[in-house]
Amino acid sequence: MADPSSNAASPIRVRLFAALREQAGWAERDWPSQQAAIPPGSRTASPQTPRAIWMALALDGSFDSVRTAVNQHFADPDTVLQPGDELAFLPPISGG
Amino acid sequence: MESTPDLSLRITLHSARFDALARLEVWHDELAQRDSSNAAESLFVGRVRPTAGDGVALEALELEHYPGMTERQLEQLADHCCRRHGVSSCLIEHRIGRVLPGEAIVLVAVGADRRGPAQRCCHELLESLKHDAPFWKREWRTDGRRQWLNGNTPL
Repeated sequence: MADPSSNAASPIRVRLFAALREQAGWAERDWPSQQAAIPPGSRTASPQTPRAIWMALALDGSFDSVRTAVNQHFADPDTVLQPGDELAFLPPISGG
Repeated sequence: MESTPDLSLRITLHSARFDALARLEVWHDELAQRDSSNAAESLFVGRVRPTAGDGVALEALELEHYPGMTERQLEQLADHCCRRHGVSSCLIEHRIGRVLPGEAIVLVAVGADRRGPAQRCCHELLESLKHDAPFWKREWRTDGRRQWLNGNTPL
């Protein structure tokens, strides 16, 4: 897990895979972490979560069919993200 | 969760064709060298079908994965499943990249003292990796279309 004290301005790395990646036309993108995005003196914004970032990215498809991983572990879509986290949106899995 | 301290777990991702039976033989040799051979063993080999879901011939199946998370997730799924069933050894071999019809995609083998735990664990582990390890399949069809699969085939 990222250490907010050491990299407060580090962005969140957003990753897409398979069909999601091809629909969006990109595989990785840095997303400003809250500490970096909020101007000094501003009121605190809502916590940054996978769900909030998905909505802000306005990607095609239903969020209900997407799973989220934070730092390469499955995570709840309402997990509060930290600077430097790696967030991945995963389309329906088909292994084996 | 009951501990199985001597669990032997081997997981490999292959970016090129692998011979499932040859890999099984290597695993058997390794277990024999450690005096860990099993009285019961259950195994599953999954291969690429010759046709897509709608019957059109397949040129290949592409397997994408999430490097790092895939390995960690496979290890975690296998460890939990094996310990839950009290089995003693487990082998997972999984392809990534472009896989041709007839080639092996996955080999799962589970060794135990009795057939029940071996069969149940092999079945459960296969189902869990199909749904909870970050792999994605795309069909490359002979009619020129390419299509990501939206989940798994029915059991």
